[in-house]
Amino acid sequence: MVFSSLTFLFGYLPLTLALYFITPLRRRNFVLLLASLFFYGWGEPVYVGIMFLSIFIDYTHGLLVEKFRDRDRLARWFVGQSVVFNLLLLGFFKYWDFLAANLSLLPGVSLPELGLPLPLGISFFTFQTMSYTIDVYRRDAPVQRNPVDFGAYVTLFPQLIAGPIVKYKTVAAELARRTVTSQDFAGGACRFTAGLAKKVLLANAAGALWESCLSSQSAGTLTAAGGWTGLLAFGFQIYFDFSGYSDMAIGLGRILGFRFGENFDHPYLSLSVGEFWRRWHMSLTSWFREYLYFPLGGSRKGKARTLRNLLIVWLCTGFWHGASWNFILWGLYFGLWLILERFAFRDLLTRTPVWVKRAYTLAVVFVGWGIFAMEDLGVCGRYLAVCFGGGPLWSALDGYRLRSWAVILALLALGSTTLAVDLWEKLPERGRRVLAPVLMVLGLVLSTAYLVDGSYNPFLYFRF
Amino acid sequence: MTTRYSRFLAAFFCLFLGGLLAWHVLLPDRDRSGVENRTLAQFPKFSWENLKDGSFTKGVEDYFADQFPLRDQWTGLKARTEQLLGKREFNRVYLCGDTLIAKVEPPRDGLEEKNLSYVSRLAERTEVPVYLGLIPSAAEIWRDRLPKGAESWDQAAFIARAAELEGAESIDFLTALSGRAGEDIFYRTDHHWTTLGAYYGYAALMEALGRGEEVPEPEAVKAWDLPVSNGFQGTLYSQSGIHWLEPDSIEFWVKESGLTVTSWRDGTPKEARLYEYDYLGEKDKYSAFLGGNQPLCVIRNPEGTGKLLVIRDSYADSLAPFLAQHFEEVHLLDPRYYRYAASGYAAENGIDAIAVVYSVPNFIADRNLVLLTQ
Repeated sequence: MVFSSLTFLFGYLPLTLALYFITPLRRRNFVLLLASLFFYGWGEPVYVGIMFLSIFIDYTHGLLVEKFRDRDRLARWFVGQSVVFNLLLLGFFKYWDFLAANLSLLPGVSLPELGLPLPLGISFFTFQTMSYTIDVYRRDAPVQRNPVDFGAYVTLFPQLIAGPIVKYKTVAAELARRTVTSQDFAGGACRFTAGLAKKVLLANAAGALWESCLSSQSAGTLTAAGGWTGLLAFGFQIYFDFSGYSDMAIGLGRILGFRFGENFDHPYLSLSVGEFWRRWHMSLTSWFREYLYFPLGGSRKGKARTLRNLLIVWLCTGFWHGASWNFILWGLYFGLWLILERFAFRDLLTRTPVWVKRAYTLAVVFVGWGIFAMEDLGVCGRYLAVCFGGGPLWSALDGYRLRSWAVILALLALGSTTLAVDLWEKLPERGRRVLAPVLMVLGLVLSTAYLVDGSYNPFLYFRF
Repeated sequence: MTTRYSRFLAAFFCLFLGGLLAWHVLLPDRDRSGVENRTLAQFPKFSWENLKDGSFTKGVEDYFADQFPLRDQWTGLKARTEQLLGKREFNRVYLCGDTLIAKVEPPRDGLEEKNLSYVSRLAERTEVPVYLGLIPSAAEIWRDRLPKGAESWDQAAFIARAAELEGAESIDFLTALSGRAGEDIFYRTDHHWTTLGAYYGYAALMEALGRGEEVPEPEAVKAWDLPVSNGFQGTLYSQSGIHWLEPDSIEFWVKESGLTVTSWRDGTPKEARLYEYDYLGEKDKYSAFLGGNQPLCVIRNPEGTGKLLVIRDSYADSLAPFLAQHFEEVHLLDPRYYRYAASGYAAENGIDAIAVVYSVPNFIADRNLVLLTQ
């Protein structure tokens, strides 16, 4: 189930909330566990088994790590087991076909492709549960002895399928005891509605524009203007889609009494590629920093090791986004820019005017979206070649597209800045009190209208 | 936020979600939607099998969406919002002033060339002369009305290619309709041609068969002057969600007297009519022509000459009444529903000419034409 569906909004959500709030406090994790399993099993009922397996393995390994804390080698062994289990789970379901297809290219090797559907959110929950055992070992988090509480953490439906990646230590206290004030509920509801509108009204519109440009590419009529319009559209689509989803998750979390960390901080305002990655999908970046980059030695062991570590981390970041060569390339592309920024541009960037830095960052990021969006590297290469002058510059169709999407592109651009938040905070208290319910109705009603029409509702991060 | 105010906001949110849920539950389920012209999903039957393969949950989602309260109004609201945002395209339909025009997407998998080759193969298999007539849709004839720069697949180029086809004579609907582009030859809210458009098509078809001199002037064909309905809201009205345009009028032109219409809807012959007036009271008013989609229909006119087999899509429903004035027998065969060999049918029924008459958008997307090669 996805949040931006009628079944979720007008079926699952009101029923789950009603059930959750009539349940006494100490039984709520149990309700949450059941409701989350139901949510998870909706799309692929069979895969509920993966959830149980994941809960069982990580729960027992947490206990084992705690039990053998005094015998460090044994404790490490159990941490290792849990990490390997999670990576195997992820590897099998997400990467097997990719590996099989590529290894079979070698002479004498023939591995079957299984074509299994990807279990929802597997990239997210395996990373979450890995963090649990590691944190228990590092004494960053207390061990969880209650399997229901632990199960509720693993399956927690708000962030289960598209993040943010919530580390166990950040919600450990709330799992045991949490209160929901009416302010939490109202704030969460507003945040959820904002995220829903971002996804349904803005991201999908940007997505339709991107599809239109991409279809020009396959028809052979793409122009430079169309190419850049497409990259712009895709960049907006993925930002509003993903950050909208995070908003919905954070909002739902708050309604249920959890405070998840932020996942996006206006990344398109960044002044360097490094800054972009500190503001984009923050929970993933910080996960890789904490559990991969630092353990590898980070940047404290000399230039050569830093270089190696950066490349490893960005290779993994890219590959995490999908089992295909373009994602690996995309990760390395960013790794390269980050290395350049760190070792070559550092002085240059400090002397550059702000607008140049902004333009440079956006250009790097949006060209990167091209690599991200087109899995077929041949298509991707031809598309980018047209963007950089390898084809006609302009056609009547580009004019039509820009006229049709002018208002939406303006909304997307303004929505990527802090303008809306700034204006909101400038409003007097009374204005906000009047406007909040109006905006909420507008967001809910329009999103419902677009969902019912339902002509265009693919979820980009649905299959991660 | 004060506690009271946040309670108000929270209640507001819950009321919206819960309220629509309650409405959904209390609203009696509908069997079909007139506006969408299709049957609506019902609540699926539960079984462990269905649950395991995911078809149960999929069924619940379809049910939930199809039976959603105020479905048509939500769609209308979306279209209004899109218009406000400056969009000119609504679910692959262009809004061009007071007219809706369906965008034609490029064909997939080379289907358009395959279908042409099937027509060639039909011509090889039969002794009867085969004619191919491709009807350009409004997106081609009224290309100048489309929003500036808007895309629609080049039907004229395809029709030109089809005219070169080995073995089949071509019926030039493109020239006939292009010359009349200033007239109301297509409905404004539906993808079909109007009775006037069908009249020009009929003239072109008769011309191709070498019987052009038999075609009377429009005034001479028209038995009635007034439209039979002024409230036709067609397929494009439904598809686009644009509900604010003036409805179309439907006209019936020819007299039915002296004709017998036989319809094979379920394998057995039934008496039918050129114009089924009952449909004028429903949403799907175009089906008043011959009573809508059917595998096979035969119109007999004792005063006519020659036997014509038309392999066709729904555009021929409004074309057939004209043809019936001239032919002893007009056989209308729709390969989407009629699953037997066309060449065999022609031989058994002593057919003199076979005309494959399709609108271009249907011809380039139809996957049933392979039956022509049998």
